[in-house]
Amino acid sequence: MTVSAQVTPGSVPPAAFEEQEAIAGRSLGQLAWMRLRRDKGAMTAMITLIVIIALAVFAPLITRMLHIDPLSFDDKAVSQDGGLPIGPFGGMSLAHPLGVEPGTGRDNLARLLYGARVSLFISFSATIITCTIGVLVGIVAGYRRGWVDGALGRFMDIVLAFPLLLVALSMAPVLTQRLQSMGLSGNGGRVLYLILVISIFGWPYLARIVRGQVLSIREREFVESAVSMGAGTSRILFREILPNLWAPILVYATIVMPSYIALEASLSFLGVGVLPPTPTWGAMLADSVRYFVVDPAFLFFPGALLFIVVFAFNSLGDAVRDALDPRTGRV
Amino acid sequence: MAKAGLRAVVFAAVGALALAACGSGSGTSPSSSAGGGATTATSGPQKGGTLYILTNEKQFLHLDPQRNYTGTDLAFANGFLNRTLTAYKFAPGDGGAQLVPDLATDTGTATDGGKTWSFTLRDGVTFQDGSPITCADVKYGISRTFATTVITDGPTYAIQDLAIPTDAKGNSVYLGPYDTSSKNDVAAFDKAVTCSADNKTITMHLNQPVGDWNYAMTLLEFSPVPKAKDTGEKYDDNPVSSGPYQIENYTKGTSLTLVRNPKWSQASDPYRHAYPDKVVVQFGLDPSAIDQRLMADSGPDQTAVTLGGLQPENLATVFNDPKYKDRRFNGYDPYVRYLAINTAKVPNLKQRLAMMAAMDRAAYRTIYGGNFAGDLADGVIKPNLAIDYKPTNLWTGLLGQNIPDNGDPTFAKQLIAQSGAKMPTITYDYPNTPTQSKVASAVVASLGKAGITVKPNPIEPGQYYGVILDPKKADELMYAGWGPDWLNASTVIPPLFQPNGGFDVSQYNNAAFNAQINKAKATLDRTAQGAEWAALNVEAMKDGLVIPTLFGKIQYLVGSKIGGGYIWAPYGCMPFGDLWIKS
Amino acid sequence: MAAYIARRLVAMVGMLIALSIITFLLFAALPTDPALLTCGKNCTPQVVAANRVRLGLDKPLYQQYVTFAKGIFVGRDYGSGTATFHCPAPCLGYSYLKGEDVTSLIWNALPVTASLAAGAFIVWIVSGVLLGIFAALRRGTWQERSVLGFALVGYSFPSFFIGLLALFFVVIRWQLLPYPNYVPPTQGLLQWFQTLILPWITLALLYAAYYIRLTRNQMLETLGEDYIRTARAKGLPERTVILRHGLRAGLTPIVTSAGLDLAGLLGGAVVTESIFRLPGLGSLAIDAVVNADLPVITGTVLVAATFIIVANLIVDILYAAIDPRVRLT
Repeated sequence: MTVSAQVTPGSVPPAAFEEQEAIAGRSLGQLAWMRLRRDKGAMTAMITLIVIIALAVFAPLITRMLHIDPLSFDDKAVSQDGGLPIGPFGGMSLAHPLGVEPGTGRDNLARLLYGARVSLFISFSATIITCTIGVLVGIVAGYRRGWVDGALGRFMDIVLAFPLLLVALSMAPVLTQRLQSMGLSGNGGRVLYLILVISIFGWPYLARIVRGQVLSIREREFVESAVSMGAGTSRILFREILPNLWAPILVYATIVMPSYIALEASLSFLGVGVLPPTPTWGAMLADSVRYFVVDPAFLFFPGALLFIVVFAFNSLGDAVRDALDPRTGRV
Repeated sequence: MAKAGLRAVVFAAVGALALAACGSGSGTSPSSSAGGGATTATSGPQKGGTLYILTNEKQFLHLDPQRNYTGTDLAFANGFLNRTLTAYKFAPGDGGAQLVPDLATDTGTATDGGKTWSFTLRDGVTFQDGSPITCADVKYGISRTFATTVITDGPTYAIQDLAIPTDAKGNSVYLGPYDTSSKNDVAAFDKAVTCSADNKTITMHLNQPVGDWNYAMTLLEFSPVPKAKDTGEKYDDNPVSSGPYQIENYTKGTSLTLVRNPKWSQASDPYRHAYPDKVVVQFGLDPSAIDQRLMADSGPDQTAVTLGGLQPENLATVFNDPKYKDRRFNGYDPYVRYLAINTAKVPNLKQRLAMMAAMDRAAYRTIYGGNFAGDLADGVIKPNLAIDYKPTNLWTGLLGQNIPDNGDPTFAKQLIAQSGAKMPTITYDYPNTPTQSKVASAVVASLGKAGITVKPNPIEPGQYYGVILDPKKADELMYAGWGPDWLNASTVIPPLFQPNGGFDVSQYNNAAFNAQINKAKATLDRTAQGAEWAALNVEAMKDGLVIPTLFGKIQYLVGSKIGGGYIWAPYGCMPFGDLWIKS
Repeated sequence: MAAYIARRLVAMVGMLIALSIITFLLFAALPTDPALLTCGKNCTPQVVAANRVRLGLDKPLYQQYVTFAKGIFVGRDYGSGTATFHCPAPCLGYSYLKGEDVTSLIWNALPVTASLAAGAFIVWIVSGVLLGIFAALRRGTWQERSVLGFALVGYSFPSFFIGLLALFFVVIRWQLLPYPNYVPPTQGLLQWFQTLILPWITLALLYAAYYIRLTRNQMLETLGEDYIRTARAKGLPERTVILRHGLRAGLTPIVTSAGLDLAGLLGGAVVTESIFRLPGLGSLAIDAVVNADLPVITGTVLVAATFIIVANLIVDILYAAIDPRVRLT
């Protein structure tokens, strides 16, 4: 864990998986779901997340209903003597339910809702890419063994040795330009860059876990029988082995998703983010830092929302892991 | 030989700073600088104590005098470390515009109609090692400017104005003191700058008359450097002091400590008082934390000032609370802020005018702090340049109709329709900081209302000027700011709108305009010259070269034991070299 | 064992070389122009072009790498004409922006980062392991639930958020501490401590949460094993059982994680350093990134990565020493 660990230490605790044995398919899934449904904390977390995701998805509708807009400036809402919001709690009013941004008078609620779309989209896509790469590399390394395994292992060592946050930050301006010149103008290129960069943080951990799983699964009878029946490699990999991996993948996904949300925020906080005027939580937080003495509400709302989402994902992730593996479970 | 009638404020430094933290502000408070400060202390200035200077910068961009070209840094270095031939008087308000002799015995003698200038050095002036400062040292300092690959970032007046021939590409044939190759024409420089037999009088020959060349001598570009101690690039780390202090310790990112220079004598320097015993600059502080510390005013912070001004977010607190009344200051800085339009990328005049008409300048001002930020600008010449400033009526009819502060999208659309061409997509270059991102949002939104598509292009602040000054990399619209180098629009209009002027980000090259510039430069009657600059300012607006936004203001809060504070107009900051500590 | 260490050392050198090449190529191949930084404000394309030649950027990439690598071992010269200066070995490059060689920049920043990392490490290891053991022993009680709940909350906060809140309340609102302003401990132990206490806690809070869970899970696992039951059955005191047997066996993954996390932190705690304005490696790197100061970025990345690789080696060797079951392959 390199510098990235600072952002989300322990987001990828490989230790939790190392002793885990291969988990047999469906029946366990049903069992786990039953356990999960009984877990009140997990259910609360899940409902919270569903509500927030719905808010993000329907942001255009909600903002239209409330007559707010993430991009419109409102010079009546901020003071001409210093640019601070007029009114209590960062300019809260009927017109601006969560106040406004200092200096511009843009509506905080609308920006939070639209920001959620970008932040969640980026972290969700990055989670999927991470898992895809991790699983593919892990399966190949575990199944082929030998020099392929060794080479992939060393490669992962090097990837993990890099202070990825620094590399990501310093490559950003240039690579986004490159993506733009490939036709992804404006925010398309930037969002894609963020997704790609965030994805490279997590895949080696998953690949190691998957590799371990595959090493043990491939010795099992059903794989051996498939081999003896002359099944092709790809069939064995994807039909026989992959279905046995979904439990660790799911657990891993619930762990990295919140860490990626926080990572996206940190990257924006450090100046690599989407272009203005598009809002993201991280960019809002980065801006609010300067105002945290004179306008704490401006820091509070995006900070609290970010915390709630990450907390909910973490709780859910915990619960999912416990449900799948009751041995280490909470009580 | 300053012409009579030079009264308004003189400015130094270039607009290049003011990127991230440099203030803005607003002015509910009493009019500008007004000289506040020392109301609590009845006694006058006194010696002793430690002056703390707080900044969020990690280091001084340059302490090498020939490379120092940032307003606050010039004020700092000039006050403590580097003596110049002439200097600006330490005085609040318009008094700061007055030119006084420093190393020289007077403010210079012009002959040949202003084409030749001589300055004689005072007796007893020395460097920190005790060696006397001679004409040769001043001349060597000037020569360093010509080594443009080593001595970077500094002003280029010596290169532009000294009578040294140029080659076919327009580059000086003199390449500075480090180049030992045969193509370096040292003789040309030796002819342009000469020393008297007693090594005390320096004479500079210019390629055309410059009536106020002695003002240029306030720039550290013209300060002495002992050749034996010059280390090229490395001179930045440990410049030899000619002022009342010397560097005891310079740890970049942390602090710079100045102690008294034992070889400096008050007798040879009537300009500086050198009140504090010690000066400590603390680097790398959080800008908000700096403001909070000064507000709290405890312990050593009572004798602290900031290098730059207050942050916009704290202005309301400081200026609404009477307890800060004696130690807060609000005044004009030297800068005009604007958005430069790249005429090479937007050659269609009507389209440029449409962008001017569409821009929401009020939003720009609010982002920088509203009233504290300054006044909405109507051109690139600031009213403080009293002789050269005349209202351009840019927003009140110059372009055909009144344009409100929020912009006029309808009028902009009409202009686009008249342009007879499709409006191109506008890419807006700006340094990547939170405040600048908000400005970018305002540009996107207000030009968008007029149907102009704007793509924001954030650039790392450290590379920003390198990018926009490269014609191959600059885009259509760019954030910019500029402050004159002295009280003459000759340090505004030519650098901004003439090829090789130094800051021609508008990529403007108009033969008629250039001819008028050259005529104005050669006009020695200062009033007539002022009228010519004012006319060129109007011309530049009519030709849609920039969208002027703000005549900037700056605000300071100082510790309660700081005496002698005011906004020093030439540099738009505290007069660091003249502050004293109340006991 | 000696053969194992030797083999690992050789592998490490190989990786370091690979790392330096990758780092160099990664940044050298960027179209960002380091020459731009040598000429700042009145930067004409001619000056940039001239400086590109001075910096050797017109040479082919492999030559640039050789110069760079040579600089690390024997130093190199910068500049031209009579303004030449020497950057002594180990020279990681020269930052024209800062006017300083990268090695000294890193050397100056390292003690700050080391102070931060070491203090935070102590706080999080002690609190993490103790609370983890506590939670394992109180399995099924409200105490366990609150410790785990605290851990969950702790690592759900983005670190910059905790840091900012701490600054806001502790320093500004309640004025319990002066503003963070780093001084070396030799110059002022109290100020050093006062400056670092909040960053330590901020960082430790995040890591402690992870170590609480890790320790607890390890303890539960080992306490359930046969030999622990045997030890208990033999009538050994509970304290001995837990410390001598339970913790010892569960220690290996904790040591592994701790070693790597500490090494990672030594490479710079970017966010924490930037919030508390600590002039450490993280701040240096961010500053370099913001200004696209490539020599500094390359240098800091290389140093940070080296820490990780070395830590990996040390952890593996320790692992082998602690746990005799590990096969030395």
